[in-house]
Amino acid sequence: MTSVYIFIKDIFLIIISISFFEILIPDSKISKYIKFIFSMIILVIILEPVSLFLLNL
Amino acid sequence: MNYDEILKEQFNNINNDGKLDELTKQTSNLTEGLSDEFVPEKLLDSILNGQSIFYDSQIVSSLKELFLLEIKSAMVICIEILFISIVIGIIKGLSDSFKTKSVADISMLICTMVIIGLSINSLKTSYNLALEATTIMVNTMEILIPVLIGILISTGAITSGTVLSPFILGTIGGMALIIKKFILPALFLSCILSLINSLTEKDYVNKLAKLIRNVSLAVTGFLLVIFSGIITLQGLLTETADSLLLDTAKFSLSNFIPIVGGFTSDTVELFLKCMSSIKNVIGIFGIITLVLLLLIPVMKILSIGIIYKITAALSEPISDSKVSSGLNDMGTSIIYICAIMFFTCLLFIIFITSILSIGGT
Repeated sequence: MTSVYIFIKDIFLIIISISFFEILIPDSKISKYIKFIFSMIILVIILEPVSLFLLNL
Repeated sequence: MNYDEILKEQFNNINNDGKLDELTKQTSNLTEGLSDEFVPEKLLDSILNGQSIFYDSQIVSSLKELFLLEIKSAMVICIEILFISIVIGIIKGLSDSFKTKSVADISMLICTMVIIGLSINSLKTSYNLALEATTIMVNTMEILIPVLIGILISTGAITSGTVLSPFILGTIGGMALIIKKFILPALFLSCILSLINSLTEKDYVNKLAKLIRNVSLAVTGFLLVIFSGIITLQGLLTETADSLLLDTAKFSLSNFIPIVGGFTSDTVELFLKCMSSIKNVIGIFGIITLVLLLLIPVMKILSIGIIYKITAALSEPISDSKVSSGLNDMGTSIIYICAIMFFTCLLFIIFITSILSIGGT
């Protein structure tokens, strides 16, 4: 159960920090790509338990 | 010898270890005196006198008062959240007059985080209430089931008693473990995820939260179907074996013993019937106790859920649509917690009724 709590805590912290950074980055052409990279980070965090599960098989 | 004397004597024999009295006292404490109408002795008396057991309408009015009280106390959170939503609305309107957009965005983010903090607080309250209610229900069942199984065996249903007893007790323990360790924490986490989702402009974890919520509800429903199905089938099967045994005993008693055999057989049958009516009384008492024990926590949780739904509806025109959808999801999750408590209670009631339906001869 502790691993699940750590997972949710990770998502919580990552999303809060990413939403702060998204506000702070200046408007330019590159901001779209930065946002895409942020989404990729969240995807990796969400997929982390799946990868752990597959490794343990 | 009169049949009500037999009934009372048998009832006192069952009740002399004081387990039922203990249960009645505990229930009366927890439900603030709502359950005082439904003590086993009173139920037995009303059966003997041919009265209805629901003769007092006081219980309805006190339930109504309790619900209104809960709604009132949950209203405070509603007003706090609405106030912050209005602040968010003002900031949104003023954001053009700020020099940069990021100032308004950051202040909205902070307001949303305050709302999340308030919501997690009341979420924790309802989660703890649900945990407590599950523990209390399981304790009640663990006191009640051995008493009922003992009475079941003394009505002559020996096979049913011996087969069902370990199964029911094991299932109750297992169900409580699954609910406490997996289902309720999963709902808690999905609620937190849907609240985090209201922080960002884009949907990041909305579907994940809904997935966790639906899976937890589906798992509970699945467990309910499997356990109640198994116990009903098992009960049907063992009941036939028991009636076979009982009929053989009665037949041999009346035919193989000369002269007094017929009387003895009839007397035995009278005793068994009295026993089975006591079983029904205690079963009904158990069902009423379970429902009453569940009623107060469920009303508290439900009033919090309804208040969150209302807050979401009220804050939609003034504040960000993200905030109101987050609050709405939170209300849904709390109502799901309520539904899971209801499912657990339903499973326990099915157990009691399946014991009651066995050996009704």
